[in-house]
Amino acid sequence: MIPGRQALALGAALLAVGIMGHALWIPAKASLGQELLERAWTRQQLQKSAVKPWPWADTSPVGVLEIPRLGLRQLVLEGSSDRNLAWGPTVLGTLSAQDPIVSGHRDTHFRQLADLIPGDRLLLTDVHGTRSYRVAWLDIVDSRRQELVFASGQRRLTLVTCYPFEAQEAGGPLRLVVTALPEQAATDYSSARASHRDTLSVTTR
Amino acid sequence: MKSTQAPRQGIRAALEARSQRLYPALHQSPASKPETGRLRWQDRTLLILAMVLGAMLLLRLETASAQQMTTLPDWGLTFSSEDAQWHQLALHTSVVVELDGQLARVHIAQRFRNDSLSWLEGNYRFPLPTGAAVDQLFVRVGDRIIEGEVQPREQARQTYQAARAQGKTASLVRQERANQFATQLANIGPGETVDVLLGFLVTVDYRDGHFTFRLPTTFTPRYASEAQASTGQAAPQPAMTVAQPVPDHGFELKLELASALPLATLESLHHDVEIEETPGGYEIRLADAAAQTDRDFELRWSPALTREPQSTLSTWRDGDEVYAQLMLLPPTEASLQAQPREVIFLIDTSGSMEGASLEQARAALHEGLQQLQAGDQFNLLEFSNSTRSLFPRAEPFTGGRLLQAQRWIDRLHANGGTEMAPALQQAFQGEVADGLLRQVVFITDGSVGNERELLALVAAQLGASRLFTVAIGAAPNDWFMRKAAVIGRGHATRIGRLEDVAETMNSLWSRIRLPAISDLCIDWGTGAEYYPEILPDLYAGTPLWLTAKLDREPQRVSLCGQLNGHSWTHELEPQELPGQATLATLWARQKIEALEDGLSFGQDREQTHAQITQLALKYGLLTAYTSLVAVDRTPARPDQEALGMASVPSLLPAGSTGRTAAFPNTATGWPLQLALGLLVLGISTLLLLFPFAQLQQLRRWLTRAMRGSVSHS
Repeated sequence: MIPGRQALALGAALLAVGIMGHALWIPAKASLGQELLERAWTRQQLQKSAVKPWPWADTSPVGVLEIPRLGLRQLVLEGSSDRNLAWGPTVLGTLSAQDPIVSGHRDTHFRQLADLIPGDRLLLTDVHGTRSYRVAWLDIVDSRRQELVFASGQRRLTLVTCYPFEAQEAGGPLRLVVTALPEQAATDYSSARASHRDTLSVTTR
Repeated sequence: MKSTQAPRQGIRAALEARSQRLYPALHQSPASKPETGRLRWQDRTLLILAMVLGAMLLLRLETASAQQMTTLPDWGLTFSSEDAQWHQLALHTSVVVELDGQLARVHIAQRFRNDSLSWLEGNYRFPLPTGAAVDQLFVRVGDRIIEGEVQPREQARQTYQAARAQGKTASLVRQERANQFATQLANIGPGETVDVLLGFLVTVDYRDGHFTFRLPTTFTPRYASEAQASTGQAAPQPAMTVAQPVPDHGFELKLELASALPLATLESLHHDVEIEETPGGYEIRLADAAAQTDRDFELRWSPALTREPQSTLSTWRDGDEVYAQLMLLPPTEASLQAQPREVIFLIDTSGSMEGASLEQARAALHEGLQQLQAGDQFNLLEFSNSTRSLFPRAEPFTGGRLLQAQRWIDRLHANGGTEMAPALQQAFQGEVADGLLRQVVFITDGSVGNERELLALVAAQLGASRLFTVAIGAAPNDWFMRKAAVIGRGHATRIGRLEDVAETMNSLWSRIRLPAISDLCIDWGTGAEYYPEILPDLYAGTPLWLTAKLDREPQRVSLCGQLNGHSWTHELEPQELPGQATLATLWARQKIEALEDGLSFGQDREQTHAQITQLALKYGLLTAYTSLVAVDRTPARPDQEALGMASVPSLLPAGSTGRTAAFPNTATGWPLQLALGLLVLGISTLLLLFPFAQLQQLRRWLTRAMRGSVSHS
């Protein structure tokens, strides 16, 4: 009787450790990834050539995204694959394009986006220098009905993350789409507001 | 009768006996018979849960009653249901200010929660700095983001009322006074959190070599005079004559000061701050996260330049329209000559001045008297419900009269209402002796309800006098004080704390003693519409800022005027500055202000109304005739299948060669996994902690209960 109970408890404990380990590995990887990317980015700046952040990596940091008000600073990776998203926010297309789209996990790198408000300043640094944006709109869209547009010729920065932030399960259909315009243009809200439709990087399927 | 006579002990004994019979386990010590306490741990868990829940309920009740007991301040969020009205404290207020040159962009974000159990309408008020150009409003209620849009006032009201009646979440922002705005929020659900974000532009003061940025965080209770009430005009707020204590209220403030050059000084006058040097300038934060908002925030800095330029001219082009801003710094004091004057001190001794304000006013008067010289004439006037003066008319300044005046000042005390009009009239009336310049020094907190009437009076009766306003107290009515000084062709000064009185009065004195440039004129070299329209006299240490809209890029701008009795000219070259779209907003704001001022000089109301509305719609500004009305932009129920009806209206921009991509998966769900892991761990702990025998008993008890229910059916 007694050994049976202990075995059961031990089994449950092992299972729990396994599940929790798997769960905690995600945020651990997210912050470890940023640490390694930060180093690779610094070396890359000095060497002027791509540096692998870890030996088996098939990607490299292409820039830095900053939100000064929220104190957010994230190294951005090239290629929006699920594997890359685990390590850091990723860019769809190229970061040096006129309208980069940067996506990140709502429960790791982009958790602070929940507190983003229109008017916030975003700084995007790539090999060419730093560009400054202002958040113009926050939109919540259904990914089953809409898709992202890039290389449209518009000058803007789009951030994408899952929505709502409080949801527990992964894989929901909603996305928060943050549209930021270059600083000069964004301060003139009155005229920019009229072109909201044209500026949003989302289209109906 | 008999039942009440029955001894209570009897009842108690009977109850105990019954309890012994039914729950023997309760009446035995745990050590004596462990197996009989078979469900004891469940009981204990239940008890702990009940205690925790009870404590939470108590806490909640306590906070609820505390909220109802607070008085309703003028600012913040007030909820009203059908039978009650109460004030909701902001859970959090965060202010971000970006200071660049003469402009400040301010974002104020406040978070509120509807703690009640019913759907409510909220009313949100916030005091703003004078001349603030409000152009942004965002409200986040629960999951919905609502963006304010400028519409003519009446249309906006109708849009709001319709949405409100249909039970939709809606928001309406109106201008209540020149420096006060109110937001209405309809249909806030129980327990919902509301974030209000207000964005505005404001210019930064520069004088005596200092930049000063001021952010009001309180609002002076207003006194509406009886004359105004009798004209049937709806008073926007209940009139209060006694200052209510403002409840404590934490807030977070961050300022980003862009400055390419090092600063000589940088200080916060009323709050402790932490200053950090950044690559682009400085970052300033409140040192105390739970700082109180009973004082206005004031930041002062001065560039470490010793030789400042005489003037700057910056322009910004938007299509065919060119906007310009010109700053003119008068020459140094050393080159100027003083003039004899007649000085009238006009002091407010109404109830709102009581305490520290009157103390400051007294000190300011004593300072002012010290500055008089032989050859000057002076008089002192005080007013509350009525006006009293030291002398029937201005008298030459002598030692004897100085003593008399000082005794008179020490006897002043504050009480009663603020009947400002007769006092101003008395100050301006009467002939001025030959060769004297009349200067009226007006010391008040400006807490009046009939500002416009008073300004019209100043304009009508000023004559050759000059009006200098000295604002006093924790939160004076800045707009009125500044406007009165502009119309009075003088200057507005402000005293924030008692220690500053001597310094401020000295600087005011040295300034008004020495008029630097008078009869100022300007030639933009092209068609121009500029503000302020009344070019003031320039005094030592006080620069002039002009904002203009021009027909084309100016080649050269020339200024002329009188300097020390000689004619003077000056020429400027423009420089185009990047990213100064705010110049257009600023210009529009000043034009609207000028149009509003025109009303107090008898301009046609209808026409002005139309002009302001048109400007406000073009530049996206909140005014007395336009309101920001909210448009609910996010789906009302974002996490349900019925989403198809609320898709975001967006099309691929015409003529674009864009490519499309699906949305990446941007959630990992690790917190849920972690919770699951913790649950399994909890089960394993329970298995270890509680003897298996009890589980067997539990099983037996369960089987018995099930058998019982089976046999019953």
